[in-house]
Amino acid sequence: MKRPAGRDDPKRELWLAWYAILVFYNLYTVVFFILTRTQPPGKPWYGAGDASGWFAHHHDGLLVGFALIFVLGGLSATSIALITYSIRRMSVSRAFAYSYLILYSVSAVPGFLFICVAMTAGAMRPDRDPALQQWLYDLGFLSFSGTMGVFLVGSLIWMAAILLDKNRVFPKWFGYLNLCNALTEVVVAPSWMFDRGVFAWNGLIAWWINVVVFGLYTGVFINLLRNVIIREDFGTGPLPGLPKRARGHAPAEVVS
Amino acid sequence: MRRTSGELIILCALPAAAILWIAAFFLFPGFLPPMSPGSAPSEVAAFYGDHTARIRYSMILFNWFCVALIPVLMLIVERMRGMAHRTPIMRYCMIGCAGAAPIAFLTATIFWLLAAFRPDRAPELTQLYNDLGWITFTCGVPFLVAQSLFLAVSIFLDQQEKPVFGRWVAYFNVLVAVALVPAGFAGLAHSGVLAWDGLLSFWVKNIAIALWIIVMSVVLGRALPRDRAVAEAAA
Repeated sequence: MKRPAGRDDPKRELWLAWYAILVFYNLYTVVFFILTRTQPPGKPWYGAGDASGWFAHHHDGLLVGFALIFVLGGLSATSIALITYSIRRMSVSRAFAYSYLILYSVSAVPGFLFICVAMTAGAMRPDRDPALQQWLYDLGFLSFSGTMGVFLVGSLIWMAAILLDKNRVFPKWFGYLNLCNALTEVVVAPSWMFDRGVFAWNGLIAWWINVVVFGLYTGVFINLLRNVIIREDFGTGPLPGLPKRARGHAPAEVVS
Repeated sequence: MRRTSGELIILCALPAAAILWIAAFFLFPGFLPPMSPGSAPSEVAAFYGDHTARIRYSMILFNWFCVALIPVLMLIVERMRGMAHRTPIMRYCMIGCAGAAPIAFLTATIFWLLAAFRPDRAPELTQLYNDLGWITFTCGVPFLVAQSLFLAVSIFLDQQEKPVFGRWVAYFNVLVAVALVPAGFAGLAHSGVLAWDGLLSFWVKNIAIALWIIVMSVVLGRALPRDRAVAEAAA
């Protein structure tokens, strides 16, 4: 395996981003599954009293876990950036890359900041009126599961780019795995309507199958991104200097 | 023929935006001194009842102009093109954060405005909006932290004879990122330095953001003319 991010490694930026992705997804897993225990999610059918009790029971984990996301959540940009870069290496229009970049960047606030804010607000005041605690509980879980469109369209954009690409940056089968990820965003829609059963936010389809698909998809694309970096051929020499730097253009960049 | 890139206009608009930010900061009665998370619902409701107009005007100002930071962030992204990087990946990281950070603040202004919209609402509901506003405002630092770190890494990687930004700018950005970290933990305390009205979560965090804007605008101002000189020399 190529050693990452040495001082003169021409791929150091790529390896730094790739390792940041590893850190981010591991942090994400630890925070959501272990610290806050918000995955698997709480029961959607909880009444106000149960939701209030849930906050009291998860108090410390919620506050510490989501504080970690408040501090380190921005690392998610590395994953978006590396994937955007991978699309720029494809034979398709830059529009695909920029669409992916913007779609996933705007997903950050509804997709993970809302659950952090709502759960922190709930945990900060366990003695709040239970009806309001239930309101925060719903806001947390539904904003997290129910921010769908950006990931749906984002995955389709990435899929289309991979299937059209002549440079074979990603294998075609991964294009179709993007479709599977996009479908998880389709089948999660009923969680806005049902508070129990397979389609509820903790149900067999809307949670268990989705989390398996998403976990598999994420593991696969992290590995494929690693392959993309290994295959990049920048040569091994030092960076050429930038003596004739004209405004708005850096000649040393392979993709600018 | 002399062309105007417009970058200088963006930079020169920043002091005007900064004046509006400072004005809004002093206009909002909840910042000086910062509201305590330990206040009872009745106190919070009374605050919104007593200061309704000032809360509305200050938050409308913030809602209008907090996103005015985005063009300045894009100026930084444009300077990053001149860095000795092989890929645009650090710029993509910056762009990814640039949208989210001001939007997090914009979301906070919406919660505060909602609380002030019906000050006669049940006090517990006003407190809920107030909590959501303060938590979003105080803890919503992930993109600012990441942005500073990405910028620092970009500067460290810019190994050329005349780097775009001096190395001290990288260390400064690391320092700012560190100063923002405690604010993420504000949910853990109702009083003391970590609480959202505390020394670390309010004063250190907001002074760090203000300093960052001042220092980066000065550094940007120094980077712009150099580029113009390079372009003119090439022409």
